[in-house]
Amino acid sequence: MHLKKIKCYFKFCNYYLLYWYFFFVFANNIFIILMIGVVRLKNQYGTTPYFIEYIIHRLKLFTFGQFFNLIIIIRLILLKIGWDNMAVEIKLPPVLEIIRGNIVKNGNPLALKGSEVAAWAKDLKLSSQGDLLFYTGGEYQLLPYIDSLVSTMTVMDQGSKVFSFMMGARNLINKTGINAEKIYASVLAKDRERFNSISYKAAVILQKLGYDLCYSGDKELYSGALLTELGFNIDMQTYAHKVSKVFRESKAKTIVCLSPHAAEVLKFVYPKLVQDFNYTIKTFVELIWEKRSNLPQISLNKTVVIHDSCRLAREMEITEELRDILNSMGVSFQEASSNRQWTTCCGGPNKLLYPELSHTIAARRINELKETDADIILTSCPYCLAALLGGQTKDDNTIIEDLIEYLYRGFEA
Amino acid sequence: MTDLQKEFNSYSKDITMASKDENIEKAISRAVKSYRQTTAESLERFPHTPELAAEVREIKKTSIANQQALLKQAMESVERNKGKAFYAKDKQEALILAAKIIGTGKTIVKGKSMLGEELSLREYLQEQGNDVWETDLGEFILQLNKERPMHILSPSIHVPRERVAEIFTKFFAKEVPPDIAQEVAAVRDFMREKYFNADVGISGANVVAADTGAMVIIENEGNVRLATGAPPVHIVMVGIEKIVPTFQEAMKVTEVTWRYAQYGVPGYVNIISGPSKTGDIEKVTTYGAHGPKEFYVIFVDNGRSTMAKQDDYKAALHCLRCGGCMYECPVFQITAGHFGHIYMSGIGAVWTAFVAGGMEKAAPLVFTCLRCGRCVERCPMQINVPSMVQKLREKIVNG
Ligand code: SF4
Repeated sequence: MHLKKIKCYFKFCNYYLLYWYFFFVFANNIFIILMIGVVRLKNQYGTTPYFIEYIIHRLKLFTFGQFFNLIIIIRLILLKIGWDNMAVEIKLPPVLEIIRGNIVKNGNPLALKGSEVAAWAKDLKLSSQGDLLFYTGGEYQLLPYIDSLVSTMTVMDQGSKVFSFMMGARNLINKTGINAEKIYASVLAKDRERFNSISYKAAVILQKLGYDLCYSGDKELYSGALLTELGFNIDMQTYAHKVSKVFRESKAKTIVCLSPHAAEVLKFVYPKLVQDFNYTIKTFVELIWEKRSNLPQISLNKTVVIHDSCRLAREMEITEELRDILNSMGVSFQEASSNRQWTTCCGGPNKLLYPELSHTIAARRINELKETDADIILTSCPYCLAALLGGQTKDDNTIIEDLIEYLYRGFEA
Repeated sequence: MTDLQKEFNSYSKDITMASKDENIEKAISRAVKSYRQTTAESLERFPHTPELAAEVREIKKTSIANQQALLKQAMESVERNKGKAFYAKDKQEALILAAKIIGTGKTIVKGKSMLGEELSLREYLQEQGNDVWETDLGEFILQLNKERPMHILSPSIHVPRERVAEIFTKFFAKEVPPDIAQEVAAVRDFMREKYFNADVGISGANVVAADTGAMVIIENEGNVRLATGAPPVHIVMVGIEKIVPTFQEAMKVTEVTWRYAQYGVPGYVNIISGPSKTGDIEKVTTYGAHGPKEFYVIFVDNGRSTMAKQDDYKAALHCLRCGGCMYECPVFQITAGHFGHIYMSGIGAVWTAFVAGGMEKAAPLVFTCLRCGRCVERCPMQINVPSMVQKLREKIVNG
């Protein structure tokens, strides 16, 4: 992140002070010069009897002014050499700035277009207003691109000058040798389809269970969970209002979130930032659980193990619901040794900064889950899904699925 | 200007390498398994523990709120017991105080202490021309191997016995086989001589009771008993966050600490409140009977009182250093102490920011944390590390 950026975006950042100081010194000098000018003019056109006193008075002001300047200059020097700990300028790794910039400017972390994010809903003709808002936050749709961005970063030196020019996957400068289109093109069509269809499947399942959904379409914005997560709270304050505006337009009372991360910020962060944010926030899992008696039976002859997502299990305290859902569909499932509130994180959260580390954590988690000998690993969080898939070895044929994909089997046809 | 990218780059290399280290993988998986098992067993055997932990949370909370008053009281108690109490504002002051008491050319035996790591105490005293020996077996191995600890309680958690045998064979200049019992015996013989010839013993303390001036030190090896008992001078260096109001409360804190620190029941709990003394001849109190004649306590602040004033972070001072959270941390599980700078894992990131290296060193750690929250499930003090980490990120991002 560059100095300029800090100045623009973090008004309260202390470097801002520095500019004010420059301004003060400048303004003070102008003032003094003008005053001396006025005195000269007076001298020319008509004399005042108290001229001498007057000039002395001015001189006093001048000295006083310079004294003031001196203080400011000393403070500046102190700031510069870093005695004053207020003046720590921090240069963050560029990837953080990429994510932040994209969310703030484009409404999602990777600068996908609204139409790209909403493409899955074309055939469903969901109305834009209603009581129950279906909220994808674009998160499942984004997954294949995140991996692509991360692998681009892994081959590049994050500290290089070139890298810091990159401002959003869509705005990559061609000179760098990697362009946005390449990143987008490198995503396999089948991956893109798979992740796009998850939102579709979720909507169909809910509809078939009798929920009447509305959807904001290409106006839908990402929740901003990463802004909060990464410490961009100041950006989040304005961003949350932008997102809430879209929510308001839907006239909904309840918002159902596909991603537990979105649910978490909407539930715990938004009410603190946005006035009258009185929506009931539900996760997809909760809505399914409420209608569990209407769920179809699924007989796959494959055993299942649940990977509880951290957010769902520990923040939202949703663990038994998942088990109830599987039970009501007649699915036999295993429990991993670290499960429920003791679940192991998939490694997803630090993927952006430490991709290799994140990868190893995911691989470890898969091993833990595989100790149960299950054929299918089920999760209900987009990041868990992506991280676990990323940590899987090529020769491993355990199926890793989202609960949405698993349930959809019972609703097909 | 702080270019965090540089810190991130070198740290990133280090931590990625660690995550591929098979020794770490093997050692930590074994350690995690045994930690979970022993802790589950001892919680079952002593079912009152969670309730006691809740009580200790309250004790710690009030103690941190009254830190300054308790510090004063603790110092007075130490003096009343004929010890000498000092307050060190920062690292520099603490080291100078210790050096003044010790001087140069002395032999020092030292117990394990994270505060010692924070102050680089051993290195400093060595620079002053002293001969310093770590008496904790794990620390001793690291001292010989010139490494830093990889866990707060089991510092050499990542070194397998074969490697220990190599290190010892070289150091003792005689064949030490890769057999744990024989390795332990070799150190025992070597240290015994050091304890009785040392001029000074240095230790930390797990808890301090302000009313009596009692220092409580939990251990298994018996090294602290000897290191604090045999030499003529004993210096305690302890963080001011360890002080609680009363002796009874100190005992509660002690029990909770050892239970979550996988001691089951610890071999020894040392309680030391002053120099050794006797009144056996004509009831005349004489100091320096069998134990140390001189007893010094240096209470170290080094950022702790600043931390105590910050609502977002003060709960981090409740940390008992039981190490439980580390076993539950998915990052720590694959990287050990590489996920840390002196203090380790999530709670370590918070401590590093305030007392050991500052924001620069803490930033890469702060962004490594997954904020998955499993440490909070384990922590007897229920310290909400993920929320502190998030606050720290805001601090870093906003400058
Ligand atoms: S944070 Fe909690 S679990 Fe971790 S060492 Fe401190 S007291 Fe123990």
